[in-house]
Amino acid sequence: MSTPVLETENLVKVYGKGATRFDALKGLTFEIHEGESVAIVGKSGSGKSTLMHLLALLDEPTSGVVALGGEPVTALKPKKVSQLRNDTFGFVFQQFFLNPNQTVLENITLPLKIAGMGKSERNRRGMEVLEQLDMADKAKNKATNLSGGQKQRACIARALVNKPTVLFADEPTGNLDTATSEIVEDILFGLHRDHGITLVVVTHDADLAAKCQRRLMMQDGEIVTEEHGVKGVQA
Amino acid sequence: MRSVDVARTALGNTFRSKLRTALTVVAIVIGSFTLTLTSGLGAGVNKYVDTVVGGFGDSSQMFVMSSGASDAEPTEGPAEYDPEAAASSGGMFGGGPGAGVLTDSDIETLEGLDHVTSVDPMVFVSPDYIETPDGEQYAMELDVPANAVGLEMEAGEAPSEDGMELSIPSEWLTIFDTEDPEAVIGETVEIGISNVTGEQSTVEAEIVGVSEEALSGIGSTPMPSRELNQELNDLSMEGYQGQAENAYAMAVLDVDNLEANEQTVKNELIDESLLGLTVEDQIGAVQGVIDAVSWVLSGFGFIALLAASFGIVNTLLMSVQERTREIGLMKALGMSSGKVFGLFSMEAVVIGLMGSVIGVVLGLGAGLLGNAWLTGDGGPLGEVAGLTLFAVDPLSILGITALIVGIAFLAGTLPAARAAKKDPIEALRYE
Repeated sequence: MSTPVLETENLVKVYGKGATRFDALKGLTFEIHEGESVAIVGKSGSGKSTLMHLLALLDEPTSGVVALGGEPVTALKPKKVSQLRNDTFGFVFQQFFLNPNQTVLENITLPLKIAGMGKSERNRRGMEVLEQLDMADKAKNKATNLSGGQKQRACIARALVNKPTVLFADEPTGNLDTATSEIVEDILFGLHRDHGITLVVVTHDADLAAKCQRRLMMQDGEIVTEEHGVKGVQA
Repeated sequence: MRSVDVARTALGNTFRSKLRTALTVVAIVIGSFTLTLTSGLGAGVNKYVDTVVGGFGDSSQMFVMSSGASDAEPTEGPAEYDPEAAASSGGMFGGGPGAGVLTDSDIETLEGLDHVTSVDPMVFVSPDYIETPDGEQYAMELDVPANAVGLEMEAGEAPSEDGMELSIPSEWLTIFDTEDPEAVIGETVEIGISNVTGEQSTVEAEIVGVSEEALSGIGSTPMPSRELNQELNDLSMEGYQGQAENAYAMAVLDVDNLEANEQTVKNELIDESLLGLTVEDQIGAVQGVIDAVSWVLSGFGFIALLAASFGIVNTLLMSVQERTREIGLMKALGMSSGKVFGLFSMEAVVIGLMGSVIGVVLGLGAGLLGNAWLTGDGGPLGEVAGLTLFAVDPLSILGITALIVGIAFLAGTLPAARAAKKDPIEALRYE
């Protein structure tokens, strides 16, 4: 496989002190390679969300190292870390976090606006992504007028608009019914397959996890098992 | 994020919760309205005082009076005879103790002073009567020609230097049985004056203007031209036995580069037992009072603004709370804490700017309308010529706007800092 896009070494995250001390992550070391699709699977409280936050540079580990493309990021300044997130990552959350007062286009171009891109270029890139996701006709709609599936597609569009290397999806289908879940899953894995985006999915949904090339099963802050290969695709 | 996007987003966000923004803006409007009105009032009244005092001479002039007995040593019992002092009080109108007059020798001294380019002694004349073409006689007092600059004309022109001219106050139109000020211009009147021996003689003079009464009192009495004044003075001195000693109430000095030489000239005058006052000295006291009053009033406006600034803090704190998840998202997507701070403080600035602009516009409108109504024709203060109660001072308006925006920014820093400190993970988890 190619160079690891994300790697961790002895990653430890501890919340609280003394009696309330909680070891969320107990020394994880693994690599995620470019173009991989990885599922982090576990029950709530297993530490999967904490791990994702650390990988996505949203949080700092208590000890250990997260490296992005071979470069440790722990030492970087917050501003630089923000910029790295903006440049290299895309986020799809369980909740949509769309601004109901803004149009779909305004919502999905937020990362570009944060990056400091001019308005016309922003809108051009935004429309491109919306077309890719068959959402172009909804560009001028207010985000609040979309259905659940459309909202999540808008979120995916927002995650893709800055052409990220890694796409983080935190329970991307958690709020959707089965039919729309499948559509969203198809989009995510289609992107992975056709565009080579590295996909990191955090889920407790075994079906969704099964579609990933690699699964990290987590329990009590540790990776208990690691599975490889896409399991038989279920209907 | 680009600054233009920060500004545009902030503007958009302020309109999200319209009622709340509107109420906060209203609080600021009250403060900015008050400040605009009070500063405009101060500027207006000061401007009026300037024009009124402008009537006492232009700014290169210095008014010289004898400091007279005021600087004499207080004595117990009868004071010793002093021929100089006696001359001062022995003029046409001995001013009583304390108010000396200037003698010809004083004028010569003044002419000899450094930096003094010209000396214009002022004589007061007291004519006995004025006679209209119909032959009716009226008692009159004349103003001094040096005050002519301060005349507010209703019709015609102020009396010039030369020529036997005078202006009359508009109240005097009745003696000509007319209400039209234009009608009396060109009329010839006779002025009667007694000399030292009690003999009366007359001078003819032409009415060239009708004056309104200014707050300073200038224009409430007829104003002679310089030549007419001198002529009347000469007539009144006729028949004086012995050497006529002219007496002047005051002299007007033209001082070369007054600002630089003011103190030098004043010091020299003090050595000569004379007192020099500039226009500035005369208006300074009045304007000091007006400034104090307008500052006190502005203080109330400022207090209103302070109260309003807490409104901004409150509004934005609520807004930060409501938009916790949005802030979390922006930070997760790579917005730096500095930009989040900038976004929220910009919202405070937008609120402040809206409040100040609306308040300033309302304040200007109220001030100008109020001024027009109060001092206009038929208004309660319409009789006072040239009165302005409200003036637009662009500098102070800019100052007020800047002050309010500054206060709004300061008020915004607390909520903005709170927004900037939010942890994206916590914020995204927030329900």
